[in-house]
Amino acid sequence: MRRVTVLLTTLLLFSLLLVACGGQVGNEPEAEPGAEVGTETEAEEEATEPAEEEEETEPAAEEEESEAAAEDDCASEEVFCIGLVTDVGEIDDKSFNQSAWEGVQAAAEELGAQTEYIETRDATDYGPNIALFGDNGYDVIVTVGFALGQATLEASQTYPDVDFIGVDQFVAPEAPEGWEGEWPPANVAGLIFPEDQSGFMAGALAGMLTESNTIAAVLGTDLVPPVVAFKEGYEAGARYVNENVEIISTYHPGGLDVAFTDPEWGASTAAQAIDQGADVVFGAGGKTGNGALIEVASHEGVYCIGVDTDQWLTVPEAHPCLVTSAMKLITPGVAELIRASHDGNFPNGNYVGDVGLAPFHDFEDEISQDAKDRLDEIKSGLESGDISTGYNPG
Amino acid sequence: MEAAATRPRERAFLQRYGTLTAVLVVALAIIIWAYTASAQQTQAVLASTIRQSTPLVLGALCGLYGERAGVINIGIEGQMLLAAFIGFLANVYTGNLIVAVTAGVLAGAAMGLFLAFMSVTLKMDQIIGGTVLNILAFGLTGYFYQAGLTTQGKLQPIALGPLADLPLVGPVLFNNPPITYLTLLLVGISHYVLFYTRWGLRTRAVGEHPRAADTLGINVYKMRYINVTLGGALAGLAGAFLTLEAVGSFERSMTNGRGFLALAIMIFGKWTPLGSWGAALLIGVTYALNTQFQFLGLVDIPHQFIGTLPYVLTIVVLAGFVGRARPPAADGVPYEKE
Amino acid sequence: MSIGNRNWADRLRTFWRGASIPLVAVALALLIGAIILVASGASPIAAYEALIIGAFGNTTALQRTLEKATPLIFSGLAVAFAFKAGLFNIGAQGQLLFGAITSAAIGFGVTGLPAIVHAPLALLGGAIAGGLYGAIPGALKTYTGAHEVITTIMLNYVAINMTDYLADGPLKDTSPGNIVARTPAILPSAEIPTLGPIPLGFVIALIMAAAAWWLLWHTTLGYEIRTVGLNPSAADYAGMRVAWTVILTMILSGLLAGVGGAVETQGVIGRYQPGFNVGLGFDGITIALLGRTNPFGVIPAALLVGAMRAGSSQMQFSADVATEIIDVILAILLFFVTADLVIRWLLRMRAPGVEEEQVTLSSGWGQQ
Repeated sequence: MRRVTVLLTTLLLFSLLLVACGGQVGNEPEAEPGAEVGTETEAEEEATEPAEEEEETEPAAEEEESEAAAEDDCASEEVFCIGLVTDVGEIDDKSFNQSAWEGVQAAAEELGAQTEYIETRDATDYGPNIALFGDNGYDVIVTVGFALGQATLEASQTYPDVDFIGVDQFVAPEAPEGWEGEWPPANVAGLIFPEDQSGFMAGALAGMLTESNTIAAVLGTDLVPPVVAFKEGYEAGARYVNENVEIISTYHPGGLDVAFTDPEWGASTAAQAIDQGADVVFGAGGKTGNGALIEVASHEGVYCIGVDTDQWLTVPEAHPCLVTSAMKLITPGVAELIRASHDGNFPNGNYVGDVGLAPFHDFEDEISQDAKDRLDEIKSGLESGDISTGYNPG
Repeated sequence: MEAAATRPRERAFLQRYGTLTAVLVVALAIIIWAYTASAQQTQAVLASTIRQSTPLVLGALCGLYGERAGVINIGIEGQMLLAAFIGFLANVYTGNLIVAVTAGVLAGAAMGLFLAFMSVTLKMDQIIGGTVLNILAFGLTGYFYQAGLTTQGKLQPIALGPLADLPLVGPVLFNNPPITYLTLLLVGISHYVLFYTRWGLRTRAVGEHPRAADTLGINVYKMRYINVTLGGALAGLAGAFLTLEAVGSFERSMTNGRGFLALAIMIFGKWTPLGSWGAALLIGVTYALNTQFQFLGLVDIPHQFIGTLPYVLTIVVLAGFVGRARPPAADGVPYEKE
Repeated sequence: MSIGNRNWADRLRTFWRGASIPLVAVALALLIGAIILVASGASPIAAYEALIIGAFGNTTALQRTLEKATPLIFSGLAVAFAFKAGLFNIGAQGQLLFGAITSAAIGFGVTGLPAIVHAPLALLGGAIAGGLYGAIPGALKTYTGAHEVITTIMLNYVAINMTDYLADGPLKDTSPGNIVARTPAILPSAEIPTLGPIPLGFVIALIMAAAAWWLLWHTTLGYEIRTVGLNPSAADYAGMRVAWTVILTMILSGLLAGVGGAVETQGVIGRYQPGFNVGLGFDGITIALLGRTNPFGVIPAALLVGAMRAGSSQMQFSADVATEIIDVILAILLFFVTADLVIRWLLRMRAPGVEEEQVTLSSGWGQQ
């Protein structure tokens, strides 16, 4: 009898865990796992029942379900298929993976294309994940993040009929050693952004907004070139408008695996910066940066600036402080390149996407007309090349 | 070390507290010196120290209650993560922070109960039990997390009246959010409970010599169940701290190894609440200094070197000053009634 | 003939006794995983089908599974080996990283060697680097009493920072156009080839598992290691060099992890790059526990986990199931493998006899 109890208790515990997780999301957290009779299989099913209301809603669950049926058709001429491979992380990362996926969806809606994504769990899977799309006859494969650059180039040779869009992947002017075939490859477009310019404008705004003359930046890791570009641009921009500004900025001290997923560090670091007088904080580092933004939101009189996308939309918790975001427009860039691929005029090599500041939303009135004019001036100066951010990668 | 054991007790006693006093005096001197140099920065660093050490202390206390009763808990990370997630969900759906914290604590306690069940009733190896918790929490939170959930605020600092206006200690100690205060209290309470109450005596007896405790009529299983569950609740509080006080949002695997760090801190603190608190403060201050050094651009070396500071310092302090730590004798050994 | 038959029946029974618990545990874990999948609106059949196709569907998939399993065998062995001496090596990750970067440095830095020398040399470099890094917590434990659980956790962080620094600094790939933190690609002569669908690294892993087993159960050193693990004071009393054994065990454990990193560099990645090799060392804990800290048990455990990891992309691709379900299943599996009480009850099996190996690791938590 004791063993029966043991088994049932075990299953009950599992069910409790599931209830704990599922019940919050679903509608029926209450169920009676008390009926402890029947065979062990029945007991199990009963025990786990409460979680059945659970529904997984990944960003694109709907689209995919309707398309799943036609998946095999990708090899045919008529069906246009777009695949996306994320960098290590999730599709709903409120950052570049998500932006790229939104670009895929936008293009797919226009073109009536089929879409699918694979979230990379392990960096050694970049190649195999791309191959999964290649082998299934996808027409365009979007690979997100500079880390996938090499895998993308390799795949472009294996699948010469597929167009590859590499987000944040700089296509070098010279072919890498041992490269066979034409350079740059005809079926690879590297979607890159002058993040330093975006950061420069954010810095300029910060330099004008600050009253304490101290501004801060809470950053991911310097192992990721775009983060460095944002930082350097931000600092140069702030100094451009305000020579005496003091800039305190810091990178996450951990490795790549945690640098972008450590919101607690971001929050704590932002607080430490505010405690010593910073009144504008730039959070640039995925979820780590988001942690900084949310922390700033609870400090009166301190502004925060988001990164990559308009974070007004992705981090609503930061509304009290979020003046703007230093954007790189991944979504339209990806959509445009997909359209070009569909129309047969795919541009290879580097494709420079747009950057800029996000709308000020609720802060529209708080920012003086002078400041806005100055920002416009700086924007055109950056575009024409009259203003240099001074950032020089490599 | 053997020489130390044979030394007269008073000298060993003196030696132990002598080092402690020396460390405290030096630390105080440094703080005062720094404060006179830059009050604002010193406050910022110390406040950050308290913040960063909070989840670590709570995690260490979680491990402590279990191990004092003879159950190793390497599942602190998982307990924190799941609790952080549940607390986050409760905040999203109820918008009530008290309910959310309670939900997080209960989730941690449920994980603790599960660990107790595995290690006491099933007599599973306790390291495996903890690993099960870690993987399970990682998988469940990752699988069930959905994007687009927005929390409704986070716990805000409460200034403790005139205390908060004191120089230095005011902003650092008396202007914190609730879980941070609670943590400071819990360190003291845990110390008192473990070493000055009947309950603590029984807990330690069960962890040191369960057979003898059993003979004296203490229910070993019950003590272990309660202590491990209690520990789970503390880890739950740490998780709640992460999502409801520190960040205000949940992200996958956001504990980032803090549970393991807490485990190290508990051992570093020699299985005592005050020692663990000291160890957590040490780690916390190195984190804060790490950031401060980068802020100031003080040192022109790659930041990876500064990044190793907390860990190298821990090893140095551990090897140089703390040395051998003795866990409860029956730690990790399932108890079989005769 | 009849004698032979009985022999076979006996063997079968013995095999069943050994294999039944893991097999039933896998079945139960998949069952509960299926319930969760159904509960969250996914089709478990589609998911598991995709998982299996992704892991074993063709030679590429099979190769992927073996490639995934290979570093897991090494880190599993590293953790399991240390457990035998009562040491909990949470630091396999750091040791593996140093092994990986050292083998990369030798792989691209040393030129002009034939493959038959170069590849083993890089492998050896990785092994030594891992071993030396493992020696640190061993020596700290012996000479200062610093608990290895603390020091190995701390050394993991140090290793991540140091390898990041090296890959972004002294060892950085300076070829034109590269702005990424990574070392140059290793030379072809340092690569570990793949024979058909079987990566040579996997074969090396199997050999290392056999070597670890042989060392533990057929040498004096192995006997000393196990004695120290079971009862250090008895080992000391019997005149064994406990301190030396602890250090040596940590060196060997680190060496196994280091080889794992080197094999990953030379067989799969082709260079060292931060962000690769993540989590392999921590997985070693799971693998070692799933394999009941037995070197040969580690192999099926690593294969199982490797297969699930290799198949997870296909699962997401064809069945739209988030890959984290794999971890849920893994946790439940680990639970059932260990909580054999439950399965024994299910199979109406008797409790384990004295001669059967019981898993007790934590008894060594704070000894020595």
